[in-house]
Amino acid sequence: MAAMEKNIYHNKALQWGVYAVFFIALAIIPLVQDDAFILNQFATYGVYGMLALSISLCWGFGGILNLGQGIAFGLGAYGMAMTMQMQSQDPDINPIPPFMLNNALEELPFFWEPFWNTSAGIFLALLVPTLFYVIFGGLMFQARVAGPFFAIMTLAILSALATLFIDLQPYTNGVNGISPPGALDLGFVVVDPYSSVSYWTVFVLLLVSTVCAKLLTQSRFGLVVQALKNDSERVRFLGYHVAFYETAVYAVSGLIAALAGCCWAFLTQYVSPAQFDVGFSISMVIWAAIGGRNSLIWAIMGAFMVQGAQSYVGDEFLNSWVLILGLFFILVVRFLPGGFAGLTESLLGALSTGGRRRGGDVPVDVSKAGTEGA
Amino acid sequence: MLDITFASSINALILGLSIASIFLVAALGLTIIYGTAGVINMAHGEFIMLGAYASFTMQNYLGVPFFLCIPLSFLVVAVIGLIIERSLIQYLYNRPLDTLLATWGVSLVLMQGVRLIFGSDPKYIQMPSFMSTNIAIGDVSISLFRVFVFAVAIALIGAVWWLFYRTDFGIKVRAVTQNKEMAASFGINSSRVYTMTFALGAGLAGIAGSLFGVLNIVLPTMGMGYVVEAFLMVVTGGGSLLGTIIASGVTGEAQSIFAFIFNDTFARFLVFILIVIFLRFRPQGLISAGGVRR
Repeated sequence: MAAMEKNIYHNKALQWGVYAVFFIALAIIPLVQDDAFILNQFATYGVYGMLALSISLCWGFGGILNLGQGIAFGLGAYGMAMTMQMQSQDPDINPIPPFMLNNALEELPFFWEPFWNTSAGIFLALLVPTLFYVIFGGLMFQARVAGPFFAIMTLAILSALATLFIDLQPYTNGVNGISPPGALDLGFVVVDPYSSVSYWTVFVLLLVSTVCAKLLTQSRFGLVVQALKNDSERVRFLGYHVAFYETAVYAVSGLIAALAGCCWAFLTQYVSPAQFDVGFSISMVIWAAIGGRNSLIWAIMGAFMVQGAQSYVGDEFLNSWVLILGLFFILVVRFLPGGFAGLTESLLGALSTGGRRRGGDVPVDVSKAGTEGA
Repeated sequence: MLDITFASSINALILGLSIASIFLVAALGLTIIYGTAGVINMAHGEFIMLGAYASFTMQNYLGVPFFLCIPLSFLVVAVIGLIIERSLIQYLYNRPLDTLLATWGVSLVLMQGVRLIFGSDPKYIQMPSFMSTNIAIGDVSISLFRVFVFAVAIALIGAVWWLFYRTDFGIKVRAVTQNKEMAASFGINSSRVYTMTFALGAGLAGIAGSLFGVLNIVLPTMGMGYVVEAFLMVVTGGGSLLGTIIASGVTGEAQSIFAFIFNDTFARFLVFILIVIFLRFRPQGLISAGGVRR
């Protein structure tokens, strides 16, 4: 442990410093860049960052691998899109969204009613996914379903939800999804997707959720959760209610993903069952794994790096891009299980102990060490 | 509205058997790999897809007759599985969550590699024309090919059972499954057993692929659809061979009956939900595999 404490990677003040630098850098972007399209793109990266953050929280800290984070993301996105759709409807003249009329619905389904009210709609968009995670997580964790089995079950629920949303064509517009005609109107401000308003909204939400998640990991609750990852049986024997802690951290990560889903809906003004796509949920895990699941900030940066690189290789290389990403991901899993965060930890550990001892327990590939700074 | 006659219920039951046999063929290779080595092989769907493309290639470019394509697909995909096990999986046996991730990476690479080589347009595997005829069992008619898939499922169960319970190799596999260190101390090369089991499981996915390529169109993404369901069979079954057989049978029938009452997609949703509830009360699955489970 002595070596761990000397490693400046574990210095809390410094960690907060890095967080500050990261968010200040993000805050500078809209000041120097006024191209609405690029701002929208960066806001989208922010949404990916939130998703990576939520994965890092439950997988990196809680040890719960969740391949179905699209559940909360998709439900949140649908909730927000429903809210936005109802903003463009008039209770007296045309109370029913056009796609429902096309599907021969005579009146608004009851579960669409609350979405007339914008705050109620957004509240539901966050509450429903979180509640879903509490119930599903509670069921699974009380039965002590863990590890790979839990991952498979999240995957199964995710694909079941996707088929359900496709099947409920009259209520969800099936494969076509919902595309609200107008931007989100919060009453005091209109969140135009191609403006700095939407960027700042995503920025603030990412900042708040990151800081809350970071504080959570440093709290007593966070310590128990991290103990679960290392040996949940021992934690159980020490008298902690393991299922409660697992469900709680899983639900919090679901809440963050639902928040990301809401942002996604007002950024793209479009949701479809593609948000429940299995491949997309697993990309979230890939971002967190490449960045480093044990570090919230590195997971977020993982999302920025991977998605940023993907936008810059362009459409014509998109096919080989997936191939390269797959190979890179295999290499990370094989040689660098801690991702870039683990690499940084080892490098800083080696620096602060004068190279005598390695800081972390992560094997470091020296040939790669020179290419990536902290 | 709901027209329940004797013939239509029998039809649903027979269709259920057919769905069950498809689940089983898809899940068999996965069960063997998971049951023996504890590896969650997310690339299993892509092994199925490779089997379909192997059959397609042999049939269209080399003129191999369909029935010969099936065993050849087994060989091709088994060799690919062998290479992947030797170059990647063997380093990850003590990190189960990481094998899941690494094999996911493998599946991305395989899917995209096939897309680059063959393109994204659908391919078709031709079956012998007599296979497309329908046969009538009483009032129920079902295509001969589905009967053939059912027969293959039975044959594969028999073959796997014989291999595991009547051969030297099977004894070694079961020994390694129960206790790897103990088996090793008796001179069994456990890493070799793992390799062979992985190749065998991959080969079985190859057979599944050559059959599914006929039932559906052949696409680079076709594996995704099968892998989740195959995993559910393994998880529900508890990782043992018998468990997977029972799980496939029950879920196949359940899905067919629900589809008969409601519709296909809702039936799938309902079956998934029921499996979640089942696992709440029996997380170890129907019949859990021998040895230590983590």
